[in-house]
Amino acid sequence: MIRVTDIQKHFGALHVLRGITFEVKKGEAIVIIGPSGSGKSTLLRCINLLVEPDSGQVFIDGVQVNRHGIRHEWVREQVGMVFQSFNLFTHLTAIDNVTLGLIRVKGMSRDKAVEKARVLLARVGLAAKANAYPAELSGGQQQRVAIARALAMDPKAMLFDEPTSALDPEYIREVLDVMTALAREGMTMIVVTHEMGFASNAASRILFMDAGKIVEEGTAEEIFQHPKEERTRAFVSKILR
Amino acid sequence: MSDLRVYLRNHWRYFDAALALVVIIGTLAYIYDLLVGSRGLDVAYIARNYTLYIHAVFTNVYATTIAYLVGMAIGFSVGWLRTARTVSLARFAASMRTEKRERREDPSQREGARRLLVVVSLLWYGTKYVVRRIGDGFVEIIRGTPLYVQILFASSFFIVFLPQYATEGLLIGIIALAINTGGYQAEIFRAGLQTVHSGQIEAARAIGFSRLSAMRYVVLPQALRLIIPPLTNEYIGLFKASTFLFVLGVPTEISYLAQHEGFAGDVFEIFAIVTAIFLAITVTLSFVVQALERRFRIPGLGIEQVKVARGVRLARVGG
Repeated sequence: MIRVTDIQKHFGALHVLRGITFEVKKGEAIVIIGPSGSGKSTLLRCINLLVEPDSGQVFIDGVQVNRHGIRHEWVREQVGMVFQSFNLFTHLTAIDNVTLGLIRVKGMSRDKAVEKARVLLARVGLAAKANAYPAELSGGQQQRVAIARALAMDPKAMLFDEPTSALDPEYIREVLDVMTALAREGMTMIVVTHEMGFASNAASRILFMDAGKIVEEGTAEEIFQHPKEERTRAFVSKILR
Repeated sequence: MSDLRVYLRNHWRYFDAALALVVIIGTLAYIYDLLVGSRGLDVAYIARNYTLYIHAVFTNVYATTIAYLVGMAIGFSVGWLRTARTVSLARFAASMRTEKRERREDPSQREGARRLLVVVSLLWYGTKYVVRRIGDGFVEIIRGTPLYVQILFASSFFIVFLPQYATEGLLIGIIALAINTGGYQAEIFRAGLQTVHSGQIEAARAIGFSRLSAMRYVVLPQALRLIIPPLTNEYIGLFKASTFLFVLGVPTEISYLAQHEGFAGDVFEIFAIVTAIFLAITVTLSFVVQALERRFRIPGLGIEQVKVARGVRLARVGG
């Protein structure tokens, strides 16, 4: 579904990604962990081309997408993204946040878009909040609207960039529940998170990244209980406490 | 005692309004006394002449509004241009690297097409860079020189290069005002666009919006709300500044003040008319804009500008 080969990315003198290669099969949920600054977010952004890799290839459904002649907008329609800081459109209600892309990007009629958005908001448990503005919602509610907004575009895969890091502890659970349900339904997902519970429950594999490289890859048990690499062990022991 | 307090609390807004009225009337009365107290205001003169000024106001509003709207187009374009990260030699280099890489990976592509791509990108980035620098210079020149000089410059320009239009004072004036307000509005738009969080654009791009439609549907609606107050300021400023057009022979309110009657004895009557007209228009505008702001306010975001009366009513409920 998503294949990435030997991605390199520099920001000025900073060498952020140093040759990343991995593959995500259809229906898999991959969790990426790693210390801050290890390049996790940049890697996610390289996949939907919000950041263009300096070299290496990104394949989505067998099509190389980071090349001239492929519209970035098309790529981003294929891959939904959820951000750490939600980034809901502040001037629109929850339901308008979900319908905007449907109407303006997909060209759907307003009635159909609203119908679809209602279904999605109900799916993330926010049917009652359809007409609330983002500033009137809690962090957890905002993030669930953001998930609905991304799902509305019928993406083939979803990217989550630390979706719970900006949330108060009492709201983390509701967002993780939505994500777990999504993984169970067979959505292909790449999730950058430090939520060990989610990683153990929902992840097919876990990648540990450090300094722009994938250091270790394995199941939750392998990574958390029996890490092979010293750096993984050091990191895991820090976050498991 | 407590009866009095309840009474005061319940009727406070009447005292409040009365107080405001007393202050305004008192101030005006003091100014009146200071300026015309000894000889009295010639009401008959005002009654005879005010139509002249009303006529001038129409010209004035007309010139201001057209210049303002044209200036808005200029301001938005230049302002947006100035937010663009064009100076991206780095970006150009990145694009070239991609191109080189693809040529390496897929040598079958025709060399001619590749060359064309390089030339087109070079032109594109080069143009963007130059245009942006022109925008920067434009804003600095407009902000850095007096409007009066700009109007005279526009007039001179027409006299020298387009003499057939040199007598069209209103046209020249509107052009000069439009360019002037364009420079100022560019900065207002730039501030508005840059204040919208970059995450908003990223989110729009992530669901497949192009740069242009992200601007149209996500950034601009938010930026416009933010810049309603400074844009109003700019309109009021421009409205007052448009009286300068009298130097081009356009009859504006102060033409009469400056030419006809100046210091002929009726000067304070003229001041009275001009002041009343300007206040009537600007205060009305303030009310309209305040209504607009309330209409477009985003619920839950920022501090709402509460009407004074509403605060009083709340206090009453509390009592």
